[in-house]
Amino acid sequence: MNKFLTMIIVAAFVAVAASAQTPAWNDIKGEQLIALQTKGDPARGQAAFEPCEGCHRKDASGRTSGAYPRLSGQHGTVLIKQIADIRAGRRINPKMEPYIDDHALTPYEIADIAAYLQGLPISAENGKGPGAGVAAGKQIYDKDCATCHGPGGEGSAAQFYPMVAAQHYRYLLREMEFIRDGDRKNSNPEMVKVIKPYTNSELETVADYLAQLAPPKK
Amino acid sequence: MKTVDRNLVRQATPGRGVLAAAAMLAALAAGPAAAEDAKTIAGTVCVACHGDNGNSVIPMFPKIAGLSEQYIVKQLRDFMSGRRKSDVMGPIVSQLKPEDVAPLAAYYSSQKPTAGEADDKKAVSLGKLIFFDGNEDTGVPACVGCHQPQGAGHSVYPRIGGQHVPYVMQQLKNFATGDRANDPSRYMRVTAKRMSEEEIQSVAEYLVGLGAK
Repeated sequence: MNKFLTMIIVAAFVAVAASAQTPAWNDIKGEQLIALQTKGDPARGQAAFEPCEGCHRKDASGRTSGAYPRLSGQHGTVLIKQIADIRAGRRINPKMEPYIDDHALTPYEIADIAAYLQGLPISAENGKGPGAGVAAGKQIYDKDCATCHGPGGEGSAAQFYPMVAAQHYRYLLREMEFIRDGDRKNSNPEMVKVIKPYTNSELETVADYLAQLAPPKK
Repeated sequence: MKTVDRNLVRQATPGRGVLAAAAMLAALAAGPAAAEDAKTIAGTVCVACHGDNGNSVIPMFPKIAGLSEQYIVKQLRDFMSGRRKSDVMGPIVSQLKPEDVAPLAAYYSSQKPTAGEADDKKAVSLGKLIFFDGNEDTGVPACVGCHQPQGAGHSVYPRIGGQHVPYVMQQLKNFATGDRANDPSRYMRVTAKRMSEEEIQSVAEYLVGLGAK
C-alpha cells in the first residue's frame, strides 16, 4: 500500500520476533502479506467494491440494523486481515464468504478495496443502541477496551485493531458476543481474555456507548 | 477489464455527443457492411423471438434492447461455446459467424428498451424491498448494488429493469440450480440459491415496471 504500511509490517515482524511467540490471531503471511505489501488503488478498489454494495451499501455505511457493518473509514490493515481470515476460514462468515472467496477477488483487489474503503468519509448515521447504557458502557470501555481500541474508539491501523466508534449497535453487540463465546476464531486472545467475564447486559452498555461516539477524525 | 469499462462509461456520460461520435467512429471502423449485416440478421434471425428492436413481446424470451455491448457479446460467445446452455439459442447461434457478434451487440445495445407492467401488483412492494435491501436474514444482497438504480445495469451486470417476469424468474431459477453458470464469480448462483420462490417472483414483478414506459 505505502511506506507507512511497510513500516507497520516491519514493526509487526519485529514485535513477533521480540515476543518469540507467533501471535496466531494475526499470523501475517500468504495473501494477507501480499495484500498488505500492495499499494492499493482506491479507484480500482471502488470498481471492485461494487458487488459488495448490495449488502454494505454504495457508501459502505453498512446497515443500521447491524446485519452488515459499516466499512467506510475502517483501517485498511483491519479490512485486509478480516477478508483474508474469512477466505481462509479463520473467521466464519457464510453469508459473505462466497462473494469474496478467491474466484471473486485477488489479493491485489483486496488491497485496492481496503485503500478505497479506508479513505471514504464516515457518515454520521448509524444504528444506535437504547442510550440508557452509555454511561455504564463508557466506564467499562475506558477501563478495559480503550488501551487497544483507543480513547475515542479509533482503533489502530498498525496493530490491526478495528475502529469501533460509530459502528452499528447490533453489529458491535453481536461480534462482542461472538468473540467472548469463542465463535470468532480470529480474535486476539488478549481480547478474549478481557471480554470473557462480561455479561450480555454489560456488553449491551459498551455497544450502546460506542455506537453513539462521533466518528473519529481522520 | 472491469475498471477500464467503467472508466470509459464515466468519461462518456457527461457528453452524449462524445458517445455518439465514438459510436459513429466505431460504426465506420466496422464498416457500413457490418452494420447492414447486423440489421439484416436482427430482422431475419433474431426478430421472431426478440421482437422488433430487441423488445420481445413474448414473455419467455428476453428483451435485449439496451443491454450493454459487452454483455451481449459475452452472452453470444457463451451460447456459442456452450458455457451458457439453451435449447433455443444453441441451434440459432450456431448459424452465426464469429464476426457477426460485435455488430449485433452494437445494434441491440443502441436500441431503446421499453418497460412493461406487473401482473401481480401485490408482489411489487416485496420485490422493491428485495431490490433495494435484499434479505439480511438469508444474506441476499440488494440487486441495486450491481444492477444499478432502475436496474439499468452496465458493462458487466446486465440491464434487468423492464425485463419480462417469466424470463427473470426462469433465469433466477436456472442460476439457483446451476443450469445457468456463466455469471461472473458465481455471484448470481450464490444469490439466487438464497432466494425464496416468493422473493424470486416478487423481484421479477418489481423489475418489469422499471425504466422508460
